[in-house]
Amino acid sequence: MIRRGLRVAARLGHHGALPGGPYILPTFSPASAFGSSMDSLESEFCQEKTDLKNYALPNASWCPDMLNLYHEFLEKTKADGWIRLPSFKSNRNHIQGLKLPLVLTVSSDKSDCHIFTRCIKTEGQGYEYVIFFHPSKKKSVCLFQPGPYLEGPRGFAHGGSLAAMIDETFSKTAYLAGEGLFTLNLNTRFKNLIRMGSLAVLNVGVEKVEDQKLYISCVAQSTDQQTVYAKASGTFLQLQLEEDSSQYYTLCLQESLLPTALPTGTHPRAAGGVREVTVPAEAMGEPVYSDVRGLIRKCDCLALGSLYFSPDPPTLPPFAPPHPPPTPLKQGLVHPVGP
Amino acid sequence: MLRSCTAALRTLRALRGRREGAFPAARDPVLARRWFSTEKVIPKDHALPNPSWSKDLRLLFDQFMKKCEDGSWERLPSYKNSKLVKEQLSQAQLFTRGYEDGLGFEYVIFYNDDEKRTVCLFQGGPYLQGVPGFLHGGAIATMIDATVGMCAAIPGGIVMTANLNINFKRPIPLCSVVVINSQLDKIEGRKLFLSCNVRSADEKILYSEATGLFIKLDPEKSLI
Repeated sequence: MIRRGLRVAARLGHHGALPGGPYILPTFSPASAFGSSMDSLESEFCQEKTDLKNYALPNASWCPDMLNLYHEFLEKTKADGWIRLPSFKSNRNHIQGLKLPLVLTVSSDKSDCHIFTRCIKTEGQGYEYVIFFHPSKKKSVCLFQPGPYLEGPRGFAHGGSLAAMIDETFSKTAYLAGEGLFTLNLNTRFKNLIRMGSLAVLNVGVEKVEDQKLYISCVAQSTDQQTVYAKASGTFLQLQLEEDSSQYYTLCLQESLLPTALPTGTHPRAAGGVREVTVPAEAMGEPVYSDVRGLIRKCDCLALGSLYFSPDPPTLPPFAPPHPPPTPLKQGLVHPVGP
Repeated sequence: MLRSCTAALRTLRALRGRREGAFPAARDPVLARRWFSTEKVIPKDHALPNPSWSKDLRLLFDQFMKKCEDGSWERLPSYKNSKLVKEQLSQAQLFTRGYEDGLGFEYVIFYNDDEKRTVCLFQGGPYLQGVPGFLHGGAIATMIDATVGMCAAIPGGIVMTANLNINFKRPIPLCSVVVINSQLDKIEGRKLFLSCNVRSADEKILYSEATGLFIKLDPEKSLI
């Protein structure tokens, strides 16, 4: 008995990541952005019960100023409402179980991606930083110590590394304060150079939130607050992440569609711009087909919608549910493969 | 930034002397003594194709190298440590060249002296990620700073970034190739005003626009 799984290929429909035409973003519903959902946002982000390496912890390269301030803020996390943010190798680790809206998903899905500020792994050589966040005041403080790999002018940190650190602190604060996801604008005014190995304290605060945009500002200064290194302001686009239901989809198929288990290794995956979904042959008959369609509607509407309803990918992101297919599934789009 | 500027300026002066494009120190013995380290190690020029460069990047590189043939454009070499080895007591290296091939910043900058503009061909690697699948805003800010800074350093000498204002229009997918164009708008005394845009390789998508203000530094005064 040979089980034949039918591989159904759907093109996600992008050159690079985004359509070249009018850039229509999913709308943001502010109702869900505040109140109790903020607590779940933080707990999802912080991932306390995890064995991922947390880079935002003291190590031998931290200067005394940084250690002192770190312990000062750590005390404040006990009583004053501050939270110490963990820092993982990639932003994917912070948002497990969530994903970008499908229109913004890109094809390159290399597992070796590192967040820019955590890619220099040797202690003390690159970015040494920790961010403390205050949810109710929508403020954060970042303790940043640049290492020798961030050099620009001899003995001082590269301007770009400070801009990157400011953008990174903005980005974490904007996300936790109001689901700000993408930087729209970053305006940095450099005042003084930061000596390598010394501490810069970034004080960040959210100014206002309106029209799907979050306005945020920062002052970077020395420990004693006598020297201002830079002042910056930024604007972030609010965008909600979606639940990553691809695993749920596989589970649904396994539990309700098949009398026996699926062959191992069949699960939806995206590679090189083509999303492959293995659907068992039994599902192709009429009665089961409607079940499959119902299941698919719960999950990747956009990707699989383009498969069933037109050979060409859609040019605009249709967030409406897919229409009934005009032609049966098998015509021209399905490639039977052996086990 | 400053260190890369001084290194680039030294190279520019050497390149201007001869347009043939041979290694700058080869014909100038004085420059050769200062250029090479005491261990006689030839510094690696990172602004040249390597196996991690994508097809798009190589194509654009070849296009610009053709433009260099008539002398209107020049390619800027790029070194990890620009000064003499004698001074290399620290492990410091230029921020944008501290990654293995293909993982971080892969870029080359060309400049046009007559039009006072620079073009940077940039491919961001997987270690520059921000939002999953896209380039970190800070990484593109660093490259804009490097390109605009080079554009300011050509007429201005030693310069420092005073202000950088970047408008991000679209997120840049990781590992894609972008072209950063920068030009000098005006000079007022010690202030240099520049603008810049970041486009896709085929110029169809505009990713970001930026303006920058750079200040000419007095080489006699110290930095702090």
